[in-house]
Amino acid sequence: MTTPAPTVRVRDLVMTFGRTRALDGVTFDLVPGVTGLLGPNGAGKTTLLRVLATVSAGDSGSVHALGLDPRHTDQRLDLRGRLGYMPQEPGFHARFTAFEFVDYVAILKELHQRRARHQEVRRVLELVGLGPVRGKQIKALSGGMRRRVALAQALLGDPDLLVLDEPTAGLDPEQRLRFRELVSRLGEGRTVLLSTHQTEDVVALARHVMVLHLGRLRFAGAPLELAGLARGHVWQSQERDPGALAAWRTGTGQHRNIGDPPAGADLLEATLEDGYLLLLGGDQVEEAAA
Amino acid sequence: MGGPDTTGAWHADGALLDAYNDQRLDAAARWSVEAHLTSCAACRRQARALVDLARLERVRAALIDAVDVPRAGMVERLLVRLGVAEHTARLLAATPALRGSWLLAVAAALGFAVAAGWTHPGQDANLAFLGVAPLLPLAGIAVAYGPGVDPTYEIGLAAPLPSFRLLLLRAAAVLGTATLLAAAASLALPQLGPGAAGWLLPSLGLTASSLALATTIAPLRAIGITAGAWILAVVVTVMPPAPSSVLFAVTGQVAFAALALLGAAVLLVRRGRFESDRGFDTTPRFAARRLR
Repeated sequence: MTTPAPTVRVRDLVMTFGRTRALDGVTFDLVPGVTGLLGPNGAGKTTLLRVLATVSAGDSGSVHALGLDPRHTDQRLDLRGRLGYMPQEPGFHARFTAFEFVDYVAILKELHQRRARHQEVRRVLELVGLGPVRGKQIKALSGGMRRRVALAQALLGDPDLLVLDEPTAGLDPEQRLRFRELVSRLGEGRTVLLSTHQTEDVVALARHVMVLHLGRLRFAGAPLELAGLARGHVWQSQERDPGALAAWRTGTGQHRNIGDPPAGADLLEATLEDGYLLLLGGDQVEEAAA
Repeated sequence: MGGPDTTGAWHADGALLDAYNDQRLDAAARWSVEAHLTSCAACRRQARALVDLARLERVRAALIDAVDVPRAGMVERLLVRLGVAEHTARLLAATPALRGSWLLAVAAALGFAVAAGWTHPGQDANLAFLGVAPLLPLAGIAVAYGPGVDPTYEIGLAAPLPSFRLLLLRAAAVLGTATLLAAAASLALPQLGPGAAGWLLPSLGLTASSLALATTIAPLRAIGITAGAWILAVVVTVMPPAPSSVLFAVTGQVAFAALALLGAAVLLVRRGRFESDRGFDTTPRFAARRLR
């Protein structure tokens, strides 16, 4: 299998807020398909996605997306016309109906011709399954529906690059399933970067995964490779193993331990989550397993 | 025209269908053709070949659009009636300031000033009115655009429509509304005489300079500083015993006209600063390119 040409190139991206280096020299490529971005809170995920969405610019380093350099005004505007962005906490004009809100964003995306714009608004609302409630005011919609409204606006104009910041936060299992179906379809031929806390989302959706921690990229590769990092480092025991980096009692009553196993340990198959926790190490594992 | 075929059944002939398709038939004939088409597969087949599919699709899209699009809100309908383009009206309808609460606050502030003018006619009341009126558009613009004010600020930044255009559009709408209301209020204060329009140039000057300042610091802070400076200037320049202020004399008015022009120029040169949260367009290289 030949690797497709990268659609996004990020080199040595640095971004600081006061003394905090939110992004500390991040370098990666994205190819068409879904890439999952994992990382604990405060890792710099949102900062990175905002830079890719051209909302802000790094202090140094370079970003090229779809062959365009957002540092140049004209190229940035071109790029904005070809990208869809769903912020972590999308705001709404609460009095607008779902239709009016998406229509409003369509105008921001400079779809001026009224009928064609309305047709596009209907298309994206149908796509996220909100066709029947398009006439409802946003304040009357449930949290899950609002997130789908936010996703719908990101799909306007069939963008080549989709940047989704924690799109599955606050969705119930059924909504999450529907979301996965949709995103996996969108990932065909498009570049989709989504940040999430849910390792399940990455397993279910992503062809590539990146782990960001304290502003640095700790891992970039296939989900199986991330799981592979924990191979031979996960074992079960009757009691919590004191030598483990982290351990918790599972539903079977056994303890699942991550770390350096003692000799003769009863090794388990490693999951992507194990690999992720092992990568973050110490405190983060305690926090995540708590 | 149509006639019976060999089996004795009546059918529409080509000429009739042509006329129907070209919309050359009168209503009665059109309805009979349509009634016949719904029941006769053979004629439907024949008619189908004549139909202009592109036109049909256009009609269908127009129909769906007319039936399906939710009715726009009051502000939007009013703006469209005033001749504002439909898409611009929707951008303006989302302005947080152009909601009832701001309009109510403006009307209340002006109402108090006018009431004071009627109950205590004199220079004090006039000055109060002239001092308050320029603050009203500032208060509106403070809640018209920007982070923390516009819920879709971030989505807007990632969209191709220049944020500067959105800001100007909304500022103009707010300024226009406040100016209309203040003008109405000055008409209600007849004893103000020719000085009644003394608030207009300060209003423009303050609005332009606060927007210009917002290219360097957060918009809300810029507006706060401008409003504070204005209040201070009014208080400091008021001269007893017959209160009047140089701000509303010729010198002051000329100064505010100059401030309006200067503010507009700075705003134009530095408009790129509104196009992202931070980072872009701040380099000297960019500024130089913009100026060229």
